[in-house]
Amino acid sequence: MSFTTKSIAASALLLLMSIGVLSFRSTLREEQDREWVAHTHMVIEELQQILIDVTQAETGQRGYVLTGDEKYLNPFESGVKSIHQDVETFRELTSDNPRQQEAAQQLEFLIEARLAGLRERLEIRRRDGLEAAAKAAATGNNGEALMDEIRERISEMRLTEERLLNVRLAGAAASSRRMRTIIVLGNAVAILILLVAGFVIHRETLRRNLAERNLKHTNERLERRTLDLSETNNELESFSYSVAHDLRAPLRQIAGYSNVMVRDHSAHLDSEERRHLEKIEDGAQKMGRLVDDLLSLSKVGRQELALQETPLDPMLRRVIEELAPEYSGRQVDWQVGELFSAECDPALMKQVFVNLLSNAVKYTRKKERAVIQVGHRRENGQRVIFVRDNGAGFDMEYAGKLFGVFQRLHKARDFEGTGVGLAIVQRIVRKHGGRIWAEAKLDEGATFFFTVGSSESKTKARIAINP
Amino acid sequence: MSNEVEILLVDDSPEDVELTILALRRNKLSNEIHIAEDGAEALDFLFCRGPHKDRSFSNPPRLVLLDLKLPKIDGLGVLKAIRADERTKTIPVVILTSSKEQRDLIDGYNLGVSAYIQKPVDFDQFADTIRQIGMFWLLINQPPPAGAFMARKSQGA
Repeated sequence: MSFTTKSIAASALLLLMSIGVLSFRSTLREEQDREWVAHTHMVIEELQQILIDVTQAETGQRGYVLTGDEKYLNPFESGVKSIHQDVETFRELTSDNPRQQEAAQQLEFLIEARLAGLRERLEIRRRDGLEAAAKAAATGNNGEALMDEIRERISEMRLTEERLLNVRLAGAAASSRRMRTIIVLGNAVAILILLVAGFVIHRETLRRNLAERNLKHTNERLERRTLDLSETNNELESFSYSVAHDLRAPLRQIAGYSNVMVRDHSAHLDSEERRHLEKIEDGAQKMGRLVDDLLSLSKVGRQELALQETPLDPMLRRVIEELAPEYSGRQVDWQVGELFSAECDPALMKQVFVNLLSNAVKYTRKKERAVIQVGHRRENGQRVIFVRDNGAGFDMEYAGKLFGVFQRLHKARDFEGTGVGLAIVQRIVRKHGGRIWAEAKLDEGATFFFTVGSSESKTKARIAINP
Repeated sequence: MSNEVEILLVDDSPEDVELTILALRRNKLSNEIHIAEDGAEALDFLFCRGPHKDRSFSNPPRLVLLDLKLPKIDGLGVLKAIRADERTKTIPVVILTSSKEQRDLIDGYNLGVSAYIQKPVDFDQFADTIRQIGMFWLLINQPPPAGAFMARKSQGA
């Protein structure tokens, strides 16, 4: 998924989460509103109850005044008692509203006044009888006025409470409308975003599929091409092999007959004729070596690696011993460090040492005292073997030609050679997944470095042989 | 044939034959040499048939020098026939060829060749090689008693 798709999906997710939070908060608020409504009803009910209680007290008082029956005192007393409780409850319910608190206080005054009037008449009835009480009721008749005032006050308080509720409900309705709009819009935007994301993903998938198809085609083409190339390579190798092979027979004859002429019929030849015949034989032999080297090169190319764990130290000692005829009579100082055990094709690895060491022996020929060092060092976790000599060296400017077939950096007059040896060495080292390079200074010597595969390249080499 | 043939040289190139003979001669090994120019001719000689029907199995060559690239029947075919027959299987056969192909080497040794030598281009080296082969197989090596294997074969038959 690309960065764009990711950010689109993330913003959609964020939006949906915010909508979720808002919805939750809105639900909480609605619940609160419902509580407020219930609260208001309770407050109104309480006010109603106060009125009922006052009326009950009044009724009880009136009953007693008219009949003088003590049983009417009970409703009066219980009315008075619950009036106080109701007013207290009302106060508690409206504790957050100073206006209602004040109104409650005034109401209480009024009620107290009314109750005082009622008690007074009760006293008059008890003390002076019905007539005196009726007279008192007729003269000091502010009881009805007080009652009206109480009713009015309660109705006012009820209105206040209802207005408060309406304000609250109106606010709640507005916020709930707003919330709904936000939720609807938010959801719409989220859906839109998801649609866009879906579209982008779809487009990206299409593009990726196309790219994958292209890659597959390219791979197939590449594989075909590799196959063609390796076939062509094999054909070339076997062609060069059979050419080299068939060239050997006539060369042998040219060299053979010239040799027989010089050796067996020298009595009939003058010195010039003998020299010419020797040149012919030399030429044929040189070409023979060339052909043999070409054969080994093509053999290395075609040969499969037979990898096995090989201790390199004894191999190196053997090579130095075998090269002895090439440096007999010369002063050669071999400085051989310790090597290691490597997984390689022993026959081919020996060829590497033979070619590098015989080169070192050859190119130090003109030094009075040849010093040839062989050893290894670690470089970036890889073991690098080096072969150093103090011989003719070469100009680093031509280092690129060093490993090319038939490339020579020295005149044949100075140092004989076919120009194939290092090409073979490079081919073997590369076949093992290694690297080879050289450093040199003209007339001071040359050092050849090569790696014998890290564990990684070894695996690669192994895969290359057994796919 | 009254003369005992010591070397059977199988090679289709007259120049190579001549050079081999010259090399033998240079080393004073110019014994009785019979030349066969192809595989069929070599087998006729070894199995005493055709133009060689007068020869006897009791008188085999002491050494066969065999090229690999031959007309009609190639060197490996000749070697196979020699090793497959009780009457000829003990004859030392040395392959003398231009090829150093691994496949040829493996096939040669699988078929029981006595030695395998690549002809060097340098004639001095070649002559020295021929000398060593002649010295070893004709002078140093002890062949089995004449007719030993034929006798066993007739007993078994």
